[in-house]
Parts: sequence; structure tokens; C-alpha cells
Amino acid sequence: MKALFRPVAVAALLAAALGVAPAFAAKDVTFAVASTFTTTDPYDANDTLSQAMAKSFYEGLFGFDKDMKMIPVLAESYEASKDGLTYTIKLKKGIKFHDGTDFRANAVKANFDRVTNPDNKLKRYGLYNNIGKTEVVDDYTARITLKSPFSAFVNQLAHPSGVMISPTALVKYGKDIAFNPVGTGPFKFVEWKATDYLKVAKFDDYWKKGYPKVDALTWKPVIDNNTRAAVMQTGEAQFTYPVPPEMAEVLKAKPDLVVVAAPSIIERYLSMNTQQKPFSDIRVRQAINYAINKDAVAKVAFGGYATPADRIVPAGVEYSVVTGVWPYDIAKAKQLLTEAGYPNGFEAELWSAYNHTIAQKVTQVLQQQLQQVGIKTKITLLEAGQRVEKVESWQDPATAPVRLYYVGWSSSTGEADWALRPLLASEAFPPKLFNTAYYKSDRVDNDIKQALLTTDKAEKAKLYKSAQETIYKDAPWAPLVTEKLLSAHNKKLSGVYTMPDGSFNFTDIDLK
Amino acid sequence: MLQYLAKRLLGLIPTLLLVGILVFMLVHLLPGDPARLAAGPDATPETVALVRKDLGLDLPLPQQFLRFVKGAVTGDFGRSMRTKRPVSSEIASRFAPTFWLTVWAMAWSVTIGMAIGIASAVWRNRWPDRVGMTFAVSGISFPAFALGMVLMQIFAVKLAWLPAVGADSWRHYILPSLTLGAAVAAIMARFTRSSFVDILQEDFIRTARAKGLGEPTVVAKHGLRNALIPVVTMMGLQFGFLLGGSIVVEVVFNWPGMGRLLIDAVDMRDYPVIQALVLLFSLEFILINLVVDVLYGVINPTIRYR
Repeated sequence: MKALFRPVAVAALLAAALGVAPAFAAKDVTFAVASTFTTTDPYDANDTLSQAMAKSFYEGLFGFDKDMKMIPVLAESYEASKDGLTYTIKLKKGIKFHDGTDFRANAVKANFDRVTNPDNKLKRYGLYNNIGKTEVVDDYTARITLKSPFSAFVNQLAHPSGVMISPTALVKYGKDIAFNPVGTGPFKFVEWKATDYLKVAKFDDYWKKGYPKVDALTWKPVIDNNTRAAVMQTGEAQFTYPVPPEMAEVLKAKPDLVVVAAPSIIERYLSMNTQQKPFSDIRVRQAINYAINKDAVAKVAFGGYATPADRIVPAGVEYSVVTGVWPYDIAKAKQLLTEAGYPNGFEAELWSAYNHTIAQKVTQVLQQQLQQVGIKTKITLLEAGQRVEKVESWQDPATAPVRLYYVGWSSSTGEADWALRPLLASEAFPPKLFNTAYYKSDRVDNDIKQALLTTDKAEKAKLYKSAQETIYKDAPWAPLVTEKLLSAHNKKLSGVYTMPDGSFNFTDIDLK
Repeated sequence: MLQYLAKRLLGLIPTLLLVGILVFMLVHLLPGDPARLAAGPDATPETVALVRKDLGLDLPLPQQFLRFVKGAVTGDFGRSMRTKRPVSSEIASRFAPTFWLTVWAMAWSVTIGMAIGIASAVWRNRWPDRVGMTFAVSGISFPAFALGMVLMQIFAVKLAWLPAVGADSWRHYILPSLTLGAAVAAIMARFTRSSFVDILQEDFIRTARAKGLGEPTVVAKHGLRNALIPVVTMMGLQFGFLLGGSIVVEVVFNWPGMGRLLIDAVDMRDYPVIQALVLLFSLEFILINLVVDVLYGVINPTIRYR
């Protein structure tokens, strides 16, 4: 308690000494997060955390609310043409950037022209290169023309990378915009000390009157799990994510802290290389699905903070359908293996895409369970560089060394396309995208393709349902669990939510 | 003496060049494509190609090496692939926290370590020795991350006397420097003790005692000076290691120093940062060795430099 008030008291004393005595105590909030930020420019970021942090000062045309429902933010409304090629977007009026520039359609053009120009070498180029051109219709109307119809386009605009950067600042800072972010968001950028913290302060001319309700926000990367738990207890931070499952009980016991387990769209699965023996046999893949007790994985490896996966595209993603949890049935698994010609099982490599403790536990549980039906696995936890070399950038699908592969995914556009196409379409074999099962189904390919061409929601739902059911039957994966996101916050803090994709929503942030 | 210094400093150049070549080759041998890593999990091949070009990794290896050497000579180590800041400013902002933490940790651990070592040697096999060596053995065997967490749990979480993370005031330095110095203090104590025990058996100590000098004078004047040479060598080595930034302590206390920069850099295969850091670490070692060599002469005037 004491430690919580001390910095405030010191700040107040200092302020008094300098003659700027505030009318009330400043409301400063600190977030303790798990890794350092790579950049403040969402168009050049590939990690969820950097993009979540950038929401302090940036907003997009569209966005997601705390339940991952798409909402217009800087846009007023949009209209898609019949052929699905042009999107006309009406903008809200009276919005200012931190540098005083008015938010108008020229900002939309400046931002999309910037990311679609390969000379700028931005990391999100791939996500936006379906944009053919962006035009200014009038001050508050912009028109975007796509190269080919892409019905998930508005979701793509809601992606956390699709923000509006002040066109004046883009000209002024050029490549250095990442060190001088200027947006329309509730907070303006103050200071970024790379390993230590990033500070933002309330923007007084924010367009949503009465917001934000706190004066300053400090993003503090605290790498170590135990240390992150410690700073919550000392009051050096008021919010933290992620909380490791083993620390959840400790933090729950503290009277001034609240631990929240929020649903996520992060699905963990085991992919099987369907082009290679013995996994090319569907009976082997089914056997593996029967042999894994998903409840045990959720309980042992995730400390109960996960639910067994009952679908291919996790709940919360648009057009996801329940296909059911594979039942845990060792006898059935053994029978299928015998039918496939492996009565005594076989040996296989089991790789994990991560080398953290949770992945270690998951692979050990899997190893132990597959052992029950005679499948002996050798575990390798791949470090990021190895993962890239051996899995993600392997050039020839025919010789890919990956067999059983434990990995996860969250669809950052909140839509089924980005949950299926990169992982299960035949165009997505590495090194292009992440179809690590090397799964190829004409039906699924066709469903995914057709769904992108239509803007009719019912039609899309039908196509995605067909795709998911086919995948479930073909079993290129053993879906394991959907994670829950554990965060902790001080009881005085309200209005901060962990979103299903691991990002944050802090529109309503307030400190008592 | 000056001539000696100049000679040693000139000798730096080939060593650093060799280290530079080695580290460049080793870094490029690490598995994993930095462009793929930097582009992130959901990047398309076109994006990866763009990133590769942006990072200058599309050039042939010899050309990349030339670029590296040319830059290094003029003090320009390029930009970090991860954050796009100049490598020199990335390192500069982390150097001071690591440097001061090292200085404070060394200051207390050398003082306490040597005191324990001397006491243990003078009262060999008696209770000060037993107590001192018990501390020393525990100091060496207790892992730093565990010590750090215990200290943080007690002084930051339970008692709320000290802050848990950050590097803003002197109060932030106490816990990390205690953690960092514990092992050094233990090593210094054991080293000082063994060196002192040897010296105290030398003939000139017996002579000093025989000519009627008091025991404190014998220990301080005749013993200490002669026992100090190996101790100073050890001190230099430890200082060099700590300057590299202790990864464990920096992670536990979230210290904004060079150890964490190194982990981040290796994780993302941030070639320019790894190269510059390794070069800096070797330079630090060479300079510390030079200082240690000069100190030999101060401690023992019979040592001559040529």
C-alpha cells in the first residue's frame, strides 16, 4: 500500500516545488508486459504487443471492441460495391491529430499509399498489397479499390496495424516516424526508452469527450514471470499480462489484486505432415486424435486455464462452427493403428514451435499419451531461429522434415479467412505461409477461395462451414485447446481488458 | 612505461580485427533467417523479401563483411534489425546502467570478500575461517536467480522497503548489486584466503616476525602486498565478466542493461547488435587486462615493463 502512494506523493511534492500544483493527484497507470516493443509503427510491427501498445496513440478506421466485435472508429460508415472491388468510406468529422492536423480523407490516402509502396519496406506490406488504389472523394470520403474482390476487407481495416498516422508527421519524420508517433488516439507519445519503458500522456483534444480518464500511461516491459508478479504486489504496476498459470493462485490471494481469465481466439494444435508416412494415412491421424486426452492437456500444461478445442476455427472468430471434441478413446486409437498396419505403433519426431515452459509441459503430456498407443516420440523444442530454418522457410514441400508439430495461431483479423487460409489452404505450404500439415483438399481450397469472392454473409457462412467440417474429417491436425488469457490488475484500476487475440482494450481505463 | 602502454594499445588492433572476423562468421552461421524472424509469424514471402532487402541481407556475404568492417572502423555499426535504431545508441543507452551496477557490485564484493579472505587466512582453521568459508561456499553455490528472487520477495514484496524493478535511483541499485556481487564476494574470499595462506608461510614473513614486527604490520605490509597479485588478476577477470551484463540478474530485476540487449539480439538474430556487443566485450577485456598489468607494477615495484 505504502509503496503505491509514494511515487504519487513524490510527484506531487515535485509539482508543488515547481509551482505547478495540480488541482488533484495525477492518475498515472503502469502496465507490466512480457516483452520489449519492436516499434511504435503498427505498419512495421508483427507482434501483437507492439500493436496493442500503439493503440495508446493510434486509431484505425475500424477496430474491435473488447469482445472482438468489429466497430467503426474513425470511420462513420462504409459501403461496398456489388462486385466487391470498391469500398467507399465516410469519415467522422471534427477529429484532430496530436500535431493539430485535421483528420481528413487525405490521411487515409497517405497511410495506405505508404504501406502499399514496396519501397517503404514495411512489414505489413503483405497484408495490404491487395489494395489497388486509394482516392480522396471529398474531405470526409475516401474510396479504396482492391486488385481483386476480398470480402474480409473491412475486417482487414480493423486489424490493429491499420491505423491513421498524421500525414503531416509522415512527411516531417519520414522513416523516423516510429520514434515520433503522431496519431488521433487518446494519449500522445512522450518518451520511449527501449528496454525500460514507453510513456504516453493524456491528449487534451481527444475527440471522444471525457476520455481518457487517466493522465498518463507507462508501458513497462518486465520479461521475467516472477518479477512481473512481484511488481503487481509492490504496486509498481497496476495491470499485467500475461500471468503464468502457476502465479495465478499467488496473485489471487492478494487482497488488492484481481486475476481475470478471459476467453481467447488462440488455438493450440498438433499438425501432422500429411504428405509423409505414416501420417499420410488418415487412420493414423485419426488414431492420434483419439489417443490425446485434451482435458489432461488443458489441466496439466495450462493449469486449467484452457478449454479443450471443439473446433478448427476457435470460438469468437467470425464464421467458426463447432465440429466437436475428438473423444478420448485408446482402444479405438489402437484399432485404427492396427488397421493402418502399425499394430505396435511407430517412432516419430515431435517438434514444438516454442521453447517456453508451457510448450515443454504440453509436449511432455503428448509424448506420454501417444506412448500409450505405441507411438514413441522424440521431443525437440525449437528455438525461434531453428523454427524459421526447419519449418517456416523450408523450400521444398516434398522433403520437409516436420512431422508432428505443436504450434498455435490467432486470427488477428477476427475472421475465418485468416484462420483457415494461412494454415490449411494448399497455397499456404511453407515457405509461403504456415500449412505445416502440408494439407491439400480441393474442397477446402475451393471453399476458402469462393468465400473471399462473395460479400453475401449467409453464403460465406455456408462455405466456411463446409471447409471446417471437411478439415475435421480429414484430421490434418489434432486440435488441442483454446487458451484462456490470464491478466491481473489492481482493484483501483478499471476498464482494461485483454482481448481474445491477446491485445488490450483500454478505452475506458480509469484509476480510483 | 608509456612506450609499453603504446605497444599494448597498438596490439589491440589485430586482436579486434580477428575477433571481428570470427564473430561475423559465427553470427552468420547461426541457424535461422533474420529476415524471416523480423517479418514475423504471418508474413508472406514478398514481405520477407522486402525485409531482407531493407536489412541489407540480400547482398553477397563478402560484401556484407566489407560493409561491416568499413562501418566498424569509423565507429558506425549500422542499425539494429529489430528496432531500426543505430546500434551505437542502442548500446550507449544500456551501457551506463550495466557499468554502474558492475561498479557497485564489485565495490562491495571485493571489500567484503577480501576482508573475509584475510581473516580466514590469518585465523586459519579457527572459527573466523570456518564461518567465512561457509559464507563463501554458499555464495558460490547459491544460484543468482534464486538469490535475486528471494531478496526481491523479502525486501520489495513483503517489507516494501525497496523497489523491485527499474534503475532510476540509488535505491534501485541495492538488490541487484547484492545479487550480482554475492558470487564475486565468495570467489574473492576463497582466492584471497588461499593466496594469503601461501604467502604467510614464506620465509620473508618469518623474517618479518623474527625481527619483532607486530602481527598487523606483518599481515598488512608484508603479506597483503605479495598476496595481492593473483587477487587483482581475478578481480580484473570478474569485472570483465560482469561488464558484459549479467543476463540472469538483468532479467530478474528487469535491469535495462546490456545482458538483456544481448538476449533480445540473439533471439531475433540481430546481426549488427550481436557483432558490436561481442566486439565491445572483447575490447573491455583487453583494456581491463591492461589496467591489471599496470596495477602489478604499482603493487610490486620490482615488476618492470618493457
